[in-house]
Amino acid sequence: MDYKGDIYYIERVLSGKSNCFSYIVEKHKDRAYNLAFRICGNHEEAEELAQDSFLKAYRSLGSFKMKSSFSTWLFRIVYNTTISHVRIKKKGVLSLEDFPADATDFIGSSPSEDEAEIEYRSSLVSFALQKITDEERGLITLFYYEELSTDEIAEVTGISKSNVKVKLFRARQKMQMIIEKAEKEKIAYHE
Amino acid sequence: MNKHEEYKDDLLSQYMSPDYTESAPEGFTPKIMNRIRLEKAPVVVTEKFLKRNLVPIISVVVILVLIIAEILVSGNESDPAVLTFLGLLKNIRSSMPEPDLSSLFKISLPSVLTYVFIGMLALVFFDRALYRIFHREK
Repeated sequence: MDYKGDIYYIERVLSGKSNCFSYIVEKHKDRAYNLAFRICGNHEEAEELAQDSFLKAYRSLGSFKMKSSFSTWLFRIVYNTTISHVRIKKKGVLSLEDFPADATDFIGSSPSEDEAEIEYRSSLVSFALQKITDEERGLITLFYYEELSTDEIAEVTGISKSNVKVKLFRARQKMQMIIEKAEKEKIAYHE
Repeated sequence: MNKHEEYKDDLLSQYMSPDYTESAPEGFTPKIMNRIRLEKAPVVVTEKFLKRNLVPIISVVVILVLIIAEILVSGNESDPAVLTFLGLLKNIRSSMPEPDLSSLFKISLPSVLTYVFIGMLALVFFDRALYRIFHREK
């Protein structure tokens, strides 16, 4: 079935057809879940947070301004819900030793050496993502995974556009330093 | 940006793209819908007319006050109740140059159009000013 647009389903939900909300959930669930997961770093918590966010969105649907973007509005709810959650429940910080030292560690689970290398680098990036602050993780996720513009990120997070740019730059630098350090450790490990 | 930094940035772009988005687990939508069925139906929040149209209302009121004051000043000035206030307005008006748009456009405009034009400019000015006040960037 073709998706008829957020506004169409929102209007139907507001007219009393609550079941139409399932189309909206189906359309946005992956992006909402991904944002929650990238910030909190835990699948179970991310599912719970994404569900809570959809529920909050449903409850506040009456105040949604039809002229604005529903996905940006939903992202704002997911972002705020997740950030509040991780700030309350601070989890233990990963140390570099937690990261597998070499791409060869991935060969067992990957059919080829190339795939093992891809998996290694992907894990390296995910690892670096977990080492930065919650807020930076949120910004990086919105920028890279969700491909939002700095204007949209500013709208979602409530941070000014110029501040978003500065924070994104710092977060990228941090991640690059973490990746570099992890790779140096890998070289030292082999020496 | 040197080559090493470019490689690092490429690595971020390469492995943090929508291709690497985590998908919501199986049964995600039914779980939410089960919770939603227990909820009350959302109610459309309608803003009060006054709140929704605060900016244009203030602008119109200010302009109307100015226009009424202008008409009263040019009309009967013998009423003692408003004489002081209107006298002040008249002084302000007389200290300002008389607008003469007809010479500007080389056509003869009825005098009321001059005031309509000034009123429109004032409305735009107030609208901008009030917009800045009520929609100030967070």
